[in-house]
Amino acid sequence: MPVLEVSHLKKSFGAVHAVEDISFTVEAGEIFTIIGPNGAGKTTTLEMIEGLLPPDEGDIAFGAKKWSRNEEAIKNDIGVQPQSSALFDLLTVEENLKLFATFYDKSRPVADILEMINLTEHKNRHVKKLSGGQKQRLAIGLAMVNDPDIIFLDEPTTGLDPQARRNIWDIILRLKQLGKTTILTTHYMEEAEKLSDRVCIVDQGKVVTLDTPSALIDRLTKEREVRLSFLDGEQAAIETEAIAQRHPAVVRTVREGAALQIWTTQPEDTLYELFGYTKDRGYRVEQISIRELSLEDVFIAFTGKEWRD
Amino acid sequence: MAAKQFGAMFGAHLKMMFREKQVWFWSVFFPVILMVLFMIIFGGGGGSSEFKAKIAVVDASPNVSSGMLLEQIKSIPIFELTEGEPVTLEAGQTLVEEKEIDALIVLPEVEGTSEVGLIVNRENEGGATTQAISSIMSNFVQQANLAIAGVPPTYTLELESITTASEDTSYSDFLLTGMIGLSIAQGGLFGMGDLVDMRKRGLLKRLRMTPARMGLFGLSSMLVRLMLGIIQITILALVGVYGFGATLHINLLSLSVAFFAGALVFNAMGYLFSSFSKTMEAYMGMANITSMLMMFLSGIFFPVANLPEWLQVVPKVLPLSYFVEGMRDGLIYAEGIASSSFWIGMAIMAAWGIVCFLIAARLYKSQSIAATR
Repeated sequence: MPVLEVSHLKKSFGAVHAVEDISFTVEAGEIFTIIGPNGAGKTTTLEMIEGLLPPDEGDIAFGAKKWSRNEEAIKNDIGVQPQSSALFDLLTVEENLKLFATFYDKSRPVADILEMINLTEHKNRHVKKLSGGQKQRLAIGLAMVNDPDIIFLDEPTTGLDPQARRNIWDIILRLKQLGKTTILTTHYMEEAEKLSDRVCIVDQGKVVTLDTPSALIDRLTKEREVRLSFLDGEQAAIETEAIAQRHPAVVRTVREGAALQIWTTQPEDTLYELFGYTKDRGYRVEQISIRELSLEDVFIAFTGKEWRD
Repeated sequence: MAAKQFGAMFGAHLKMMFREKQVWFWSVFFPVILMVLFMIIFGGGGGSSEFKAKIAVVDASPNVSSGMLLEQIKSIPIFELTEGEPVTLEAGQTLVEEKEIDALIVLPEVEGTSEVGLIVNRENEGGATTQAISSIMSNFVQQANLAIAGVPPTYTLELESITTASEDTSYSDFLLTGMIGLSIAQGGLFGMGDLVDMRKRGLLKRLRMTPARMGLFGLSSMLVRLMLGIIQITILALVGVYGFGATLHINLLSLSVAFFAGALVFNAMGYLFSSFSKTMEAYMGMANITSMLMMFLSGIFFPVANLPEWLQVVPKVLPLSYFVEGMRDGLIYAEGIASSSFWIGMAIMAAWGIVCFLIAARLYKSQSIAATR
């Protein structure tokens, strides 16, 4: 059952076409991730969905509710964590949560939220004394005060260290367990791949592709990158490269000293043949790896752009 | 629901205000320091200090008339004669140069028609003390002339000081009420910086994502600001009354009217600045310039009448002049409600407030997208 339907959104700021045509549907209970390069229109799209910006064209529907008729009701149904963690610095963690709770018709107990965002210990601390990760967790906590069914998280982990990022992933996964729908934007491919049920890649104000992470990866060509390096020096690499180039599945090779990179559509076959050769000659292989395809490759394939964290 | 929300917002604003050290410094500590400094510099450190001028007299060749003049100078109570006796011209000039004395009076060397010299340090040439000494001396010489000519004075001057206050108004009272007015005005001018800060940090946008009523949010912030104003009035009044012997005659009604009108106009001005300031620095600069200009042109530290004539038109349009006037009506003159000048002042302030607010609201609306992004 879709909880959010966005169709043909369009938004321009003067001559800048921030969003040209964006449509998607979000199902109840899923983690839906929007990724795209800077300036792709992610935040503008989110702000239109969150009711902050009126779209020039297009339609946004939360079930039967629309911004034009049910503003108050929609605001009560959704929770938003904006990109800049906008918090009252001079209030404590608990005071921030309690203040926001009074804005809504219904609320989730503050103690519950403190526990979920793991800030119970720091509940009496002034926000300005919190670390970046703690602030971000509080911002997510504020998005949960009204116990919303749909939560928007706009780049919740940007600028955080790996441990703090993991803490936030845990919270997002907890929300999923609770049956909440999460709409996420992120700068980290790894994060999108780990958390998302579906990923929507946006570029130049348009949806480029939308599917589950694994389906997106499967759509890429089957060509994989294999890396080998030899203990017996350059000669072994030169000879092995020659053998590899004769294999029909190999597309191209690159050699640098004793290290070899081979692109092949059938990595197993190619490796079987190469290992037969190296065993015959007694060459010792130091390292071997098959690079996994990731969303990053999907992103590059679909947008033609290098991914920058 | 709305009451609960309002209560929570009020509580939050109150806590934020009490926890912000800057607020305490600029709205309470700083005005107190400023007032104390001005009181000490211009108010003679409290108490009732009299006007005294230190002088020295040169009587190079004592003669009958110079002797008579000397005796009479000695009998003028506000002249404090250095060493009690005449000095030489050189010694006297040195005293003037070193500013040991305010003036040197040189008595005539010969009997009959001659002049009485008055030597002052050029630095103090235009000062109030010099003016006073010179007018006393010219009056004195005049009288001496009349006496010599044997003409009895037709007119005599009798000085009596009156004021509109129930008792008399001292400089302490004047300055105290000026400072109270100034600090409340500054509270409004600078207080809206919060808004710039909140907008910059995305807090306004964040609140707009919730069903929170922004009107209530603004109102609760305003109420907290008014409370701070009352705290300012109380603290400054206590310091003024107990530290510097100011006397207040409070008319609560006119005080409240002036206070609310002032809060309105200066908050509206602050709101206007906030509407076109992208950064806190820009806002602060604007608030500083405005408050500086108004501070010296609105009769806070000295009466507007002391300004050069061509400049006197400026205080007549500035809201702070009317605000301070209104505060004085409510605090020391214990009048107002019945006087038309009070209401004209309030009306001018209200006009300022409404115009500022309307422009600001328009600017906010026209840049609402840019403002929240």
